[in-house]
Amino acid sequence: MDTEAKVGIVLVSHSAALAQGTAELAGQIGGGSVPIATAGGTDDDGIGTSIAKVERALRLADAGAGVLILPDLGSSVLTVRALLAEAADLPEPLAVADAPFVEGAVAATVTAAAGGDIAAVLKAAQEARHARKL
Amino acid sequence: MPGSCEAAITLTGDLHARPAGALAVAAAGFSAATELVVGAHKADARSVLGIMGLGATSGQQVIIRAAGPDATEAVTALIDILAGATAVGT
Repeated sequence: MDTEAKVGIVLVSHSAALAQGTAELAGQIGGGSVPIATAGGTDDDGIGTSIAKVERALRLADAGAGVLILPDLGSSVLTVRALLAEAADLPEPLAVADAPFVEGAVAATVTAAAGGDIAAVLKAAQEARHARKL
Repeated sequence: MPGSCEAAITLTGDLHARPAGALAVAAAGFSAATELVVGAHKADARSVLGIMGLGATSGQQVIIRAAGPDATEAVTALIDILAGATAVGT
């Protein structure tokens, strides 16, 4: 299982710093073997999202096993959907997770590190909604 | 015939995020079902968020339970991670 390509993770955030910090945290907890790419902020690095950044991150995170996209807030989803509607030759399979950003990123990364496929990684991210921290 | 195995360890440090991740990744490598039990709470060992949600701290006893063909190996591996990781408090 360890020799196979890992599912990649793309973190889409309105804030470059938020995406970067979440990637760093998830990468450390997951042991560093999962490709995690970020698409944070607008093209001129303001607060917002960028189709071009999401597309670049998808290609960076693709190791051959597919990519899970985690949007931070609902309007990031619009950017992701716009890209998926217009772009060609994106990595396959792709999935978009409806999940809390930090917990979803950590759970997805750990499951990908363990060799989970795209369905398992998506499920781990979405189950994060039910995890209690207190 | 699936076996089952159980072992306990007393934490010498709090159970933080990185060892929780290491436990979940290791647990997923076994076919046995594994869980961590701390007091009245338990978590699937494959769930990093579940493990962190236990809030296990130094001095508490953690029981690892496994059921499945490689239960013994799974318990040994998870106890080793707990012993190594919490000893240095990471």
